[in-house]
Amino acid sequence: MNIGTSMKDNEQLFRQRFQNCSDIQFRELTIKGGSKLLLIYVDGMIDTDVMTTNVLKPLIYEGLPQGVGTIDSLAELCELGLFAVMQNRKLTDDVEIVDAVLKGQAAIMAEDSSCALLLDCTKFETRGIEESSNEAALRGSRESFTEQLRTNTMMLRRIIPSPELKMESAQVGRLTKTNVVISYIEGLANDSVVNEIRSRIHRIKLDAILESSYIEESIEDTHFSPFPQMVITERPDIVSAGLMHGKIAVFTDGTPNVILVPMSFWDGLQAPDDFYERFLFASMNRWIRYIFAAFSILFPSIYIALTNYHPEMVPPKLMLSITGLRESSPFPTIIEIFLMEFMFEGLREAGIRLPKQIGPLVSIVGALVIGEAAVRAGIISAPIVIVVSAAGISSFVIPKYRFSFPFRMLRFPLLVLSGLFGLFGIALGIIAMFIHLINLTPFGTPYLAPVTPTIPGRIKHILLRWPRKLASANPPNNGADRA
Amino acid sequence: MNRTIRLSLVVLLLLTVTTGCWNLREPDQLAFILAAGLDLNEEGKLEITSQIAVPAAISSGQSPGGSGKKSFVVVSGTGKNVMDAGTNLQTQLPRSLFYAHRQSILIGERLARKGLGSLTDMFIRNPKSEMRSSILVVKDGLAKDVLAIEPLFDPYISTMLVREQVAVGLKPYYYRQFLADALCQATQPILPAVSVLPTKRYIYSGAAILNKDDNLKLVGYLNPKESFLASWIIGRQNSLTVTAPVGAGGDEITLNAKSLSKELQFVMQDPPSMYVMLKGAGFIVENNTKLNPAKDRDLNKIEHALSLSTQEAVQALVEKVQKQYKADVLGFGEYIHREHPYQWKELRSDWTTLFPRLRVTVKVELKVKDPGQTNSSIDSML
Repeated sequence: MNIGTSMKDNEQLFRQRFQNCSDIQFRELTIKGGSKLLLIYVDGMIDTDVMTTNVLKPLIYEGLPQGVGTIDSLAELCELGLFAVMQNRKLTDDVEIVDAVLKGQAAIMAEDSSCALLLDCTKFETRGIEESSNEAALRGSRESFTEQLRTNTMMLRRIIPSPELKMESAQVGRLTKTNVVISYIEGLANDSVVNEIRSRIHRIKLDAILESSYIEESIEDTHFSPFPQMVITERPDIVSAGLMHGKIAVFTDGTPNVILVPMSFWDGLQAPDDFYERFLFASMNRWIRYIFAAFSILFPSIYIALTNYHPEMVPPKLMLSITGLRESSPFPTIIEIFLMEFMFEGLREAGIRLPKQIGPLVSIVGALVIGEAAVRAGIISAPIVIVVSAAGISSFVIPKYRFSFPFRMLRFPLLVLSGLFGLFGIALGIIAMFIHLINLTPFGTPYLAPVTPTIPGRIKHILLRWPRKLASANPPNNGADRA
Repeated sequence: MNRTIRLSLVVLLLLTVTTGCWNLREPDQLAFILAAGLDLNEEGKLEITSQIAVPAAISSGQSPGGSGKKSFVVVSGTGKNVMDAGTNLQTQLPRSLFYAHRQSILIGERLARKGLGSLTDMFIRNPKSEMRSSILVVKDGLAKDVLAIEPLFDPYISTMLVREQVAVGLKPYYYRQFLADALCQATQPILPAVSVLPTKRYIYSGAAILNKDDNLKLVGYLNPKESFLASWIIGRQNSLTVTAPVGAGGDEITLNAKSLSKELQFVMQDPPSMYVMLKGAGFIVENNTKLNPAKDRDLNKIEHALSLSTQEAVQALVEKVQKQYKADVLGFGEYIHREHPYQWKELRSDWTTLFPRLRVTVKVELKVKDPGQTNSSIDSML
C-alpha cells in the first residue's frame, strides 16, 4: 500500500506499525527554510557520524538549493548525488519502507510527498575475522568466515576476483528475512544443480532461518541418512576449492557456516592440509585417515566377534591374555562395550557443553574413572577400555567433525549385529551400509563417486594426493556430477 | 522407508531363526587346551591328558606375573577313543573344552609302539581341531609327564616344544604335515621326539620313525644328529652345525651351515641306484686347528674334511634306515613317484622290500663362505 501525502498520517501509520518497538526512533527535523522532515531509523543500526555529517548537517544548516520542502526534489537531488552516503533509494510502499528501516536504513519523509527516501548508513557491531577454531589446519590461511554475509562474500571474492564467480541473492524466512547467497562459478558448476538448488531455496517455507543448518535440512535429499550430504565449512579456502571443483556454496547471513553442495563421501575425509602439504606426506595422511575411519566404526564390533564367536582367529597368546583380563569382569563383553561406548559419548558431549575452564576437568575425571578405577574395581575389563578409547580417538581423526557422526553412530548397530551373529553380522552391517551409501545421490551426484560408479580418471585422486604436475595431466573436474 | 525397515526386520528375524548360529561364547566360558597328550596306561586303556590354560594366572592385572598361581592345569581322562576320553575330561572342568588353540600333540612311547593309526581320525574329522599343532613322540616315557613339566621361559610347555624345534634348526613339524606324510605313497613319517629327564626337564632326543604300513607303529628312533641329517635330506632342516677333525692333529673345526639344499637322482638299474647330493654353505664358528681359512689351500682342506665327515655320517644314517629300520623316511620313494611316475608304477608294489636294497650314493658338499672374525685360531697367533 502506498503511503499518503500527509506527514501526520504517515507518522501515525508508522508509529502504529512500530508499536512497542522502543528501538525505533522517530525524529522530526526542521530544516533550513522551515519545512519539516520525519526521520525513522532503528537505534543502534545506523552510523550516527555519517548521518550527522552527510545528511543532517546539509539539510539543517545549508538547506537545499531549490524546491525545498518537497521530498520529490529532495529525492531527485539525492539521485544526483548530493548526499554523501553510499546508497539511497526512493520507496513508496509502506511495507517496503518498514522492511528497509528494519534492515538498518534510515527513512526520510516530508510533507506533501507520498514517498520516503531511504539512506544507507547502516552500521552495527560485528565480530572481526578470526581464526577458525573448528577446522584447524597447520598451513594455509587462518581466516574464517564471520556472521556477516557481506564480509563472507567479500572474503570469497577476494580469493576469486573473477566475474565468473556468481553470487545470487535470495531472502528466506518469513520473520527473519535472512539473506542467502548462492555462489558458484559459471562454467564449472553444473547448471541443472544450480537451478535445483535455487528452486529448492526459493521453496523454503520457514518462519525463521537461524543458521545454515535450517537451509541444509530444507534442501537435502534424504533426511534419514546418517551421512551428511553437504559440507559445512567456515574456511574461505575450502569454499573456493569446492567452487573450483564445480560445487555450489550457500552463504547464510548470521552464521559463519557455509554450505557446500553436493558432497561426496571422500570430501568428508579430506583436510585442507592434504593440498597444502607435500604430496607424499599428504597421501600418507590421507591413508591414515581412511584406515582410522574404518577402524573407528569396526574395531569394537570386531573385538566382540573375535572374542565371542571366533576365538580361534586370535593368536593363542593374545587370546589368553584377553581371557585372563576378562576373568574378573562380571558382565558379558557386549554389555561392557555398550557401557563404555555410552560413557565415552557422554564424556564427549559433556566436554563440548561445559565452559572452557571446566572442559579439561571432564577428560581428567573421565580418564581416571574409566581408565583406572573401573578396571581396578573389576567392573570393566582392561581390553574394553583399550578398544573403546582407540575407536573413539580414531573417530577424531576424521577432519570434518560432522562426518565423524555417522561413524560413531553406526558403531552401535554394528555392535548389536556382531553380538548376535559375529563376523557374519558385521559383514551384513557393512553390506547394508554400502547399499545405503551407493543409493545416496545428493543433488544427483553419487555419494561414493568416483569409486562407485568408477570414474577412471578421478579415482586416483581418492587414493593419493598427486603432485600438481602429474594431476594436471588429467582434465580438471568439470561439472558437479563428477565431483 | 517403512517397507525397507519392515523388510530388514523380517530378514534379521529369519537370520536368527534359520541359521541357528547363536554360538556366542564368552572367552571365560572356554577352557583353552594348549597341549594334548595321548598315552596308553598300565591297564592298556587310552588316556588323554590335556594341558589347560589358567588365564587368570598370567594376567591378573595388578601384579604382573606375581600372583603365584600356576598358569596351567593338567587334566587326564581315560576312554575308548580320543573323544570318549575327551568327554571324560570335560566332566572334570567347569568350562567347555576349546581345541583351536592346541599347539602340541604329544604321544607317549607305549601308545606309539601300539600304533597311532586308529587315533588320527578325530584330529582330522573334528572341525574344531587345530591342524597346526606340532606333533611329538615322548621317548621312553608318558606324554603326561612332559605336560607336567614346569616350563622355563614361556608360561606353557606347548609353546616351548614348538620353539625347541626352531632352535635346533628344524622346521616345526605340524600335524598337517604328519597327515601328509602318513597319507602319501611311500614316505614313512618321522616325528620329533622328546624325553623327560630325571631333573624334571625335557630334552630333544631325535626323531621317532613310524611305520605307516603297520598302523603307524613306532619302529625306532634316530638320535638327534641323525635326525638333523635326515631332515636335511627331506628338506626340513634350516641350519646345521657340523664339527669335524681336520688334518693330522685331530683338532676340530666347527661350521655353521645355512642355506642347505639337496638334490636326488634316481637311476633304474639292478639294483636301483639313488644319488643324494647335499649342499650347504656357512661360516666357521670355531677353529682349533693351525689352519688359516683365509688361505686357499687350507680352506680347501677344511671344506674337504668337513664334507667328508658329514658324508660318512649321512652314509651311516642311510645304512641304518635301510638295514635296521627298513623304513623309507628319507622320501626317496616319493621322489621317484614324482619325478619318474612311470617307473614308480613298477616299483610301488614292492617298494618296502626294494628300499633296503636300494644302492644309495651320498655326496656332501659343504662350503665355507665366511671364515668368521679371525682367520686362524688365536693359538697360532700367540
